[in-house]
Amino acid sequence: MDLIPSMPLPPTPSSAHTGTAANQQELRAVLSTFGSQATIPMVVKMLPGGIPSLEVAAEHVYNVALYLRDQLQFDLLTCVSGVDMKTHLEVAYHLRATSQNLLMQLKAKLPPKTTVIDSLIGVWISANWLERETYDMFGVIFSGHPDLRRILLDDMFTGFPLRKDFQTTPAVLHDRATTQTEPQQAVSGDQLRGLGANRSNANVFSQGDQERLHPGTPTFGHTQFHGHSFPTQTWKHTLQHEQEEQQKAAEKKKE
Amino acid sequence: MSTVDQSHTYSEGAEGFRTEEMILNMGPQHPSTHGVLRLVLQLEGETVTHCTPVIGYLHRGIEKILENRTYMAGIRYMDNADYLSPMLNETAYAGAVEQLMGIEPPRRAQYIRLITNEMQRITSHLVAVGTYLLDLGAFTPVLYAFRDREGVLDLFEQLGGSRFNVNYMRVGGVLHDLPSGWLGRLETWLDAFEKSWKEFDVLITGNEIFMKRTQGTGYISPEQAVAYGVTGPIARASGVNYDLRVNNPYDAYREIAVRPVIRYDGDAFGRYMVRLYEMKESIRLIREAMSKLPGGPICTRTPIELRPPRGETYFAVESSKGEQGIYLISDGSEYPYRAKMRGPSFVNLQIVPELMRGHKMGDVVAILGSIDLVLGEVDR
Repeated sequence: MDLIPSMPLPPTPSSAHTGTAANQQELRAVLSTFGSQATIPMVVKMLPGGIPSLEVAAEHVYNVALYLRDQLQFDLLTCVSGVDMKTHLEVAYHLRATSQNLLMQLKAKLPPKTTVIDSLIGVWISANWLERETYDMFGVIFSGHPDLRRILLDDMFTGFPLRKDFQTTPAVLHDRATTQTEPQQAVSGDQLRGLGANRSNANVFSQGDQERLHPGTPTFGHTQFHGHSFPTQTWKHTLQHEQEEQQKAAEKKKE
Repeated sequence: MSTVDQSHTYSEGAEGFRTEEMILNMGPQHPSTHGVLRLVLQLEGETVTHCTPVIGYLHRGIEKILENRTYMAGIRYMDNADYLSPMLNETAYAGAVEQLMGIEPPRRAQYIRLITNEMQRITSHLVAVGTYLLDLGAFTPVLYAFRDREGVLDLFEQLGGSRFNVNYMRVGGVLHDLPSGWLGRLETWLDAFEKSWKEFDVLITGNEIFMKRTQGTGYISPEQAVAYGVTGPIARASGVNYDLRVNNPYDAYREIAVRPVIRYDGDAFGRYMVRLYEMKESIRLIREAMSKLPGGPICTRTPIELRPPRGETYFAVESSKGEQGIYLISDGSEYPYRAKMRGPSFVNLQIVPELMRGHKMGDVVAILGSIDLVLGEVDR
């Protein structure tokens, strides 16, 4: 067992009786003086749990972040969360100072109807994915971000799901790849592509209905179920129609 | 000088030949990614030149679901995020609501939370270590790990009725008091686990093959760890002395001192050692909490329909993988206006491309396993 490097001795117990409240109070005082001396408007608040919060306009967030990192030693960007306040968007950053056991919140308010804010990836590298996630969910565009793509959702996804005006039930049905379109018959998804416009159905509002009206759903001879009439114009009719049209076009060309 | 036209052959490098670049898709169905992680690896021969993680295959929109659930009903969805440490996630969510409402759970509830949290930490680390060794080709440790984990899951079943999705924490305390004889059974399990911990240590630590594969693999410097937001055992293996149980103590950790496990290796072996010794520390914490366990109520009298006052807060616990934080905004109704989960695995995964660069293909699994990802919490 000599190969194992010896474990460093654990530090003396320190978690007990070291409340961080006093430090957080001091931090709040520091932030208040910073807010009063700086030329940009700021709001300093104390959140429940003793977390100081600094609210600034979106255009100043980069400079304030640099100040917090360099002067107050907030070296760990923990969490970036977007908030949709209906009138405007907000981005909340939670920062930790690992050397001083401090936690604070930096909040950037975007002007109404704007979605652009400076990326903080130049201040904290960990902003990379956190900002991508915020873009994915809220559509906040972080200018200066080198790789602003969707991260959790599909690239083809439309809309930003965590916004308050996002419709969770689709009004238009989209094509889905399927292998089983009819009982006893398998058709590749390619053949179903391009039929989306024909199957848009404004009366369908829930996911269950959407699945029932999916062209692959076997009906076993029934034309009506769950109170809905089955769409008369199915994918098969459309396919036939398309094929007939193609044949007609081919015949015309021959002529 | 040769006059042969060589334009159709590969250009020659310094060593006289050059290998072709290859792009390799690893996952989303791959046994060593522990879920549905997909890595797009760019290979130059055997060496990884670039690595792009592709995530989102398990995205269920938990944050959106939480906005449509009452505060008490939201706790249950925490189980599905990091499904290897549900108790810790639940504590984070319940703690955030408590912080927002300004209530504090009774002392007995805090101690029960500590005991269950540390038990959960042991199970999570057992899975991490066991499956890591499985990835590296050692089959025995995973059997040992799952055998010991089974004991904790049985105890959870007696406690909350369920093995995995326990749904045990409540805003203001816990759901049930400890059943009669439960503490005795826990004591028995702890005694058994202390023996098997030594087995682990003898079996794995010091194994030459294991050491050769892990020492120096996937080095993270402390500055790099902090810059990338890495927390938990990974940061502590790099010498970052940061543990929320010590630096920002919550609940019963204010009364029971934690000795954080710090190592300065920064490599995969250091991360394994931190997890191993954290299990030992957890045993000590559970024993201390059991000896100090106070009586009294297990939950404050909170209504089912909670309406926290308007406001926002951020609450984080030290999960088995790092900082599990919850950012909550209340608009005064019984549904949260916004609930953001800060998952440790999601942030820890960011550093993986940096670690992979320049390593051989065989080390990819060794690095990935040492990070201990749970894709349920990366994708949420």
